[in-house]
Amino acid sequence: MSVLYLVISSLLLGMLVGKYTSLEFGNLYEFMLYLLIFVIGIDIGKSRGLREELKRLGKMAILLPTSTVVGSLMGGLLASFLLKVSPKWGLAISAGFGWYSLTGPLLANYSPVYGIIGFLANLTREILTIIFYPLAIKRIPKEKAIVMGGATTMDTTLPLMVKFGGTEITLLAFVHGFILTAIAPFLIPLILQLL
Amino acid sequence: MNIFIPLILGIFVGYLLRDRIKFSMDRPMSVALLLLIFFMGVEAGRVEIDAPKLLISSLVFASFTILGSLLIALLGVRE
Repeated sequence: MSVLYLVISSLLLGMLVGKYTSLEFGNLYEFMLYLLIFVIGIDIGKSRGLREELKRLGKMAILLPTSTVVGSLMGGLLASFLLKVSPKWGLAISAGFGWYSLTGPLLANYSPVYGIIGFLANLTREILTIIFYPLAIKRIPKEKAIVMGGATTMDTTLPLMVKFGGTEITLLAFVHGFILTAIAPFLIPLILQLL
Repeated sequence: MNIFIPLILGIFVGYLLRDRIKFSMDRPMSVALLLLIFFMGVEAGRVEIDAPKLLISSLVFASFTILGSLLIALLGVRE
């Protein structure tokens, strides 16, 4: 069985457990995330030629996050027209770049309904990335497909991208997610206050 | 930015032990990934969804932001 099937099965099993049981896992999610990031760190640390890799990233390290910002906002704007939602909310939801735990509470400060949509839309972005990144890289360059994950490429979707895209994209994916993670907390309130 | 602590720690450990670690990190990474996704699924399953409209809106926003990002990356970024 390929890893992709295992990933989807794991996600579905988790959703069933979450929906139909009251099992409590405490901080295991956070613990697993940190463990995974630690293992990824070991992988980066033991690999040689790190400096050359950083140099090789060059302009891609800036161009990819820029594409994600512009593309996400454009997509959010289009979605807001399609769903007949105020462009302000569309832009704010899309400015989360997959960071649902930030977007949901930030939007909920202004509107509970859009808080829920902000949470779900960004959670869905992460889930869709998990499902479709392995398929997308069969047709498009794996480096460019990093943009699918938005801010999550520095943590939750990073292992998946490394697994399917190869360890050579680790740094690019991490830098991409890091830049978006730094932008989102400023951009969402800015959109909500200015528009 | 708690995420930096395990990352930097891991890089440091990996760098120090780079000549001793002979095995691939592939397997431990896969196990940790599957567990992480399972727990993420649990969190997603707990979200109460009453209105299908909210779900559809979320799916549309998620799809459009992904497609928009891909479009700009494919058209605008040259390697």
